Amino acid sequence: MIISLNWLKKYADIGVPTDELVELIGSRLVEVEEVIDLAPRYKDCVIVKVEQCDKVEGSDHLSLCQVNAGSGDLVQVVCGANNVYAGMLAVWLPPKSVVPETYGTGDEFVLESRKLMGQVSNGMLASMRELGLGDDHDGIVEIDPESAKPGDSFAEKFALNDTLLDIENKSLTHRPDCFGNVGFAREVAGILGSKFNEPPYFAELSKFSHDDQEKIEIEIADAELCPRYQAVIMELPESYPRYLTPIAVDVARVGMRAIDPVVDSANLLMLLTGQPLHTFDYDKFVKVGGLGAAKVIVRAAKEGEKLELLDGKTIELDSKDIVITSNDVPVALAGAMGGANTAIDKSTKRILVESATFNLYSMRGTQFRHGIFSEAITRFTKGQPPALTNFVICKFAEMTSKIFGLKAVSKVFDAYPVEIVNQPIQLTVDDVNKLLGSGFDIKQVRATLENVGFAVHGEFKVTAPWWRTDIHIEEDVIEEVGRLTGFDNILAKLPMRSFEMPTPDDLGDMKAKIRRVLSDMSANEVLTYSFVGERLLKKVGQDPANSYKIINSTSPELQYVRQQLAPSLLEKVYKNTKAGYSGIALFEMNQVFVKNEGMNGENVPIQHDNLALAVQGDFYLAKLFLNNLTDKFGIKLDYRNTELGTTETFYEPKHSAGVFVDDLQVGIVGGVAAGVKNNFKLAVDTSAFEIELGLLLGKVKVGAGYKNQSGFQGVERDMTFKVAVDMAFAKLETTVKKTLQADGLQSEIAPLDIYQGDDSATKNITFRIKFASYDKTLNGQEIAGIVNKVASAARKELNAEII
Amino acid sequence: MDLEKTKSELLKRARELDAPREVLKAPELRELYKLIPTLTDEKRAEFGQKINALKVELEAVVAAREAEALSAAVEPIDVTAPWGVNVEPADRPQIVATGRGSRHPLMTELERVVDIYQKMGFDAVESRQLDDDYHMFESLNFPAGHPARDSFDTFRTEEGFIPPAHTSTMQNRILVAGRDKLAAGGQIAAVSYGRCFRNEDLDATHEHTFYQCEGVFVSAEVTLGQMLGVLQKFFEAYYSQKLNIKTQPAYFPFVEPGLEFLIEKPKSLGGSGWMEVMGCGMIHPNVLSAAGIDPTKYRGFAWGGGIDRLVMLKYGIDDIRYFESGKLAFLKEFK
Repeated sequence: MIISLNWLKKYADIGVPTDELVELIGSRLVEVEEVIDLAPRYKDCVIVKVEQCDKVEGSDHLSLCQVNAGSGDLVQVVCGANNVYAGMLAVWLPPKSVVPETYGTGDEFVLESRKLMGQVSNGMLASMRELGLGDDHDGIVEIDPESAKPGDSFAEKFALNDTLLDIENKSLTHRPDCFGNVGFAREVAGILGSKFNEPPYFAELSKFSHDDQEKIEIEIADAELCPRYQAVIMELPESYPRYLTPIAVDVARVGMRAIDPVVDSANLLMLLTGQPLHTFDYDKFVKVGGLGAAKVIVRAAKEGEKLELLDGKTIELDSKDIVITSNDVPVALAGAMGGANTAIDKSTKRILVESATFNLYSMRGTQFRHGIFSEAITRFTKGQPPALTNFVICKFAEMTSKIFGLKAVSKVFDAYPVEIVNQPIQLTVDDVNKLLGSGFDIKQVRATLENVGFAVHGEFKVTAPWWRTDIHIEEDVIEEVGRLTGFDNILAKLPMRSFEMPTPDDLGDMKAKIRRVLSDMSANEVLTYSFVGERLLKKVGQDPANSYKIINSTSPELQYVRQQLAPSLLEKVYKNTKAGYSGIALFEMNQVFVKNEGMNGENVPIQHDNLALAVQGDFYLAKLFLNNLTDKFGIKLDYRNTELGTTETFYEPKHSAGVFVDDLQVGIVGGVAAGVKNNFKLAVDTSAFEIELGLLLGKVKVGAGYKNQSGFQGVERDMTFKVAVDMAFAKLETTVKKTLQADGLQSEIAPLDIYQGDDSATKNITFRIKFASYDKTLNGQEIAGIVNKVASAARKELNAEII
Repeated sequence: MDLEKTKSELLKRARELDAPREVLKAPELRELYKLIPTLTDEKRAEFGQKINALKVELEAVVAAREAEALSAAVEPIDVTAPWGVNVEPADRPQIVATGRGSRHPLMTELERVVDIYQKMGFDAVESRQLDDDYHMFESLNFPAGHPARDSFDTFRTEEGFIPPAHTSTMQNRILVAGRDKLAAGGQIAAVSYGRCFRNEDLDATHEHTFYQCEGVFVSAEVTLGQMLGVLQKFFEAYYSQKLNIKTQPAYFPFVEPGLEFLIEKPKSLGGSGWMEVMGCGMIHPNVLSAAGIDPTKYRGFAWGGGIDRLVMLKYGIDDIRYFESGKLAFLKEFK
């Protein structure tokens, strides 16, 4: 939203430099996003008199003009407009000046002296479009000779030497009053503690003469949807003055386009007061209703009802929209846009002017359903106070009568079923100081609140003024006091803490440690999106129906909540190989959700905190990463052949294993299946694991794995066992370990070799076994006994033969 | 030529042939394509679509059969072993710690931020990444249809769940969990941190996926001045220097009053001007009530800010899209 500094100065006594003002507005009201100096845009525009005007020979539309820019010297300008004539005042853009329409666009058009049809043209005479004020390009702008003389600066005469403040709308969502320049100025005066120059039309209703020729019946079906509706009928004059009006320039200055006197007047009042007005062709309005007189009914739209809008689009209405109807026939989508059936056109003689307030929630719905984001509906979605409509409609009638010769042919009709008044709020100065940590007394609080129009009684009861729709509770009042006096004047200090131990964030701590361990193992942590496309799901064989689906995603690649992390990693492995990397190991820790698992106790989707790692290499490499990692947490993993789950379809079944701690499955590790490898264009064997950290967390053993060291000489023996080819390595390993431990020895065993010779029925597994006694140095006989024990256990339990 | 009959014949062949890809070169398929120009205009489009659909279906069957064949050729392995049978020592899996590994800068920073809060005595919990309307909006004083919901641009799932647009989605849970502490004369002090989502188009400064950390402090006597103190001390610890602070009024439905919190630009970032670092305010009475905490007895403050921007400023990262790009060239910068 744009706030004009000229207007601010008009309605409030400013008295501080602009940078200081912007700083104060920033700290006490709202962030100023940008300060725009308008003056340079119009600095070269000069008002000139066209002294001579002749046709250019050989051209059907060009005129050769001699213009006087005040000095009396004549300058030649070629002009293509058909409304140019000798004796008029126009706006001249001299050579070397920038056409205002293009100023600051980065594609600026600099005028020069150039030949047109053989005649030199020095710059140009400007239309509304070239001045950046409107879209009109049919003729050049004509200036009222009563208001200016040749040589006058156009910017000075039309108050264009202005500074504009671009305000961040979001932080004023609750302040409808600040969506008008006057209300904004009122607030700034409050902040500065200076005088607010209230426009007279707020002090007293504007007076305008009218006859009672026409009558309007207004019916509001539901006061919740439309708290207040006012209307007046006005007759248009035969014609408007042809001169450029200050109103058109005012409207354009703060960012809207000048259109015609009626629309510009309505827009000007909206920009000043925050109250939008709408105008209908009154005769069409009556005709549509078929009653011979206007009957306005404001009601909820009916499901399926259709309305053709001003812009030619026909929309289907929703029962949550509000419509203005002429005797029940829709003529406007309330707050948003008028209907084509009552649009004002060249033949319009009388207009019906509407000043109303609508339910802000309905307005918001309408805005999004129909994609209408006009200046008017932006204001309606803030909830304008019903008290405002009357001031503004009267001012409109008065202003347009006086300036443009409109004539009211009815009084202002008003439907206001339930009057809305701000209720008093009771609180104490102590309440204020306790919430803010401040030290105000009642005098300061009263002065601060009264300065912005609040009524303060005793110590104290406070009533917000009519234009404040956002003050409902004690805290709202306290915020006003803190804000207007400056939150920054409150002393920042630390609270007294009760001495309590924070609850450890075990999962967070575990993740931090995993990050360090895996990055030390040369893996790289990545973050990838939580949403994936159907394409990715299909590549890994996961069912899209098993993913929560995002309905308003902007990209097909972000349509589903992912079921696992590993597929995203596979995609990144491919991208990095393309970038020339090899030996890639990527890991990520993040949340996943699987739709068919349903809800948790809070009735929200069950959440899994997963860790996944994808590595270029075979199953055994992924497993090694995992073993080394969990080793740091004292967790010993078992790997078992298991059926792949529905989310794990991309692993090769014969090269994957369920990961178990005790008898709890905590995840999966596997080689990527050949078909999937092709889908991802992975040239090298790639493997991955995915672990649920929540499950792993419960298995952490602090101090596990620690063994006291024997002080005696140890023994080292290599033992090779011949076992059946399908004998699981872990079985043999466990048997050997158990046997050594049963003897109370300090022991360590490490695999040396797994060998299969010509005999396809057996394989040889070799371990290097180290052991020592805690009590003594073992002698030869004892050593042989232990080795024999291991051998016989292996033979007995596993039918293994020692070689 | 009967399309349906040809279709079932070709599909059968695709399922049975030893070299399933051959079926894609079947003469029948060519014959079908040849038929297209002979048809009338209206039939041609429909027939063409059917043939294309058939071709897609055949290709899918072929791909599945080929994948099966590839898998069938795979030898089973002993998943309990450290490496495969007859694998030479040089080819056995090994991890060489070469210092090439890296931690993600966003995670490293988030750890640091959370660590400071923990040292200040705050509990820390990670924020949910898929939540309901109640936690994301309603319990935070955003009733249905509230205009302030618009500025959040949330994603939604078919089932009506929301990938949260702020870590405040944990606030109601934290308050509910802390009720007993308050009743026993204690205080609620907690931060929630994690991944959030907004439906924004990607560019160098906008991401739909980002990280936040937010906190709450509730007691019988907390003030806005104390909020300013806590936030100032946090940033002084974070940037290891004394910092001036200031505020700007802001509107968030879950606080009243609501503020933007600014710090003076720290020396490490060049040190001139102000930086907007988070939103904050006194918890709205409706938010306390929604958690079953009596707002006439207890007050609180809450704050929250983004992590991504802190990291971008710290390193001078010029494009936010790097964070989720998975590009090793970027990641390896952060040892």
